[in-house]
Amino acid sequence: MQWVETTTTVRFNEIDQWGIAWYGHYFAWFELGRMKVLERFALLPKDFAEQGLIAPVVRASCDYLKSALTNDTVIIRTHLAKPQTTSLTFQFEIMRQADRDLLARGETLQVLTRLDGVMIYKLKGELKERVESMLRFFWPQHSRLIDNVNARSAD
Amino acid sequence: MQASGHIPQELVVSLKELVIRTLRLEDIAPEDIVDGAPLFGEGLGLDSIDALELVVAIEREYDVEIPDAEVGRRAFASVDALADFVLEKQAAKKTSHAVG
Repeated sequence: MQWVETTTTVRFNEIDQWGIAWYGHYFAWFELGRMKVLERFALLPKDFAEQGLIAPVVRASCDYLKSALTNDTVIIRTHLAKPQTTSLTFQFEIMRQADRDLLARGETLQVLTRLDGVMIYKLKGELKERVESMLRFFWPQHSRLIDNVNARSAD
Repeated sequence: MQASGHIPQELVVSLKELVIRTLRLEDIAPEDIVDGAPLFGEGLGLDSIDALELVVAIEREYDVEIPDAEVGRRAFASVDALADFVLEKQAAKKTSHAVG
């Protein structure tokens, strides 16, 4: 399974009074990981906006397994789940760099909408090519994943 | 939305089964879904993520494309409306093939 990794260090402003990273910050770390991926494929928010689209997160979850502590360097691992619809589901793992202990697992679901908020069910044009390129990176065995998804034949 | 013409009952039942199967509505039978009731919000209570799944299933089963939620609002107004939409798009496709 293909993962993209980046790191961050738990800062003082991210911990609670027990020196443990506050649970909400994990979602900010997920965002760091997702941006690292999206930047590589020219799919940052500004790129969507240029195409007249927004990609809002509509669902997010996190399972907390162990605590990240102040000054821990954590590895944020990001993977794109195989899409079943015109949406982007990123999966995340947060690991402590020192021992590669898995601290948390999470997921976000993004849909695509036009700037006026109308949801898009089919990708087209330049954006479709970029998303396909990202899909091929994570799922190299599926060369035309979007079309396959739309025909519901990709497993 | 009202259906524009005669809608075959088999299509209505097939669409209900498709909705149930696609969205894994285990506690709902086709006869529980009222033909003219809204699928989203107050009716079956489906949400926009459910719509994404239905769009894929409808394209696969009926070769009918629903490009965005604006079109989806009309298509998903009710099962009757969905059947009407599928028939209309399939007829348009046949006509364009016959012309082309």
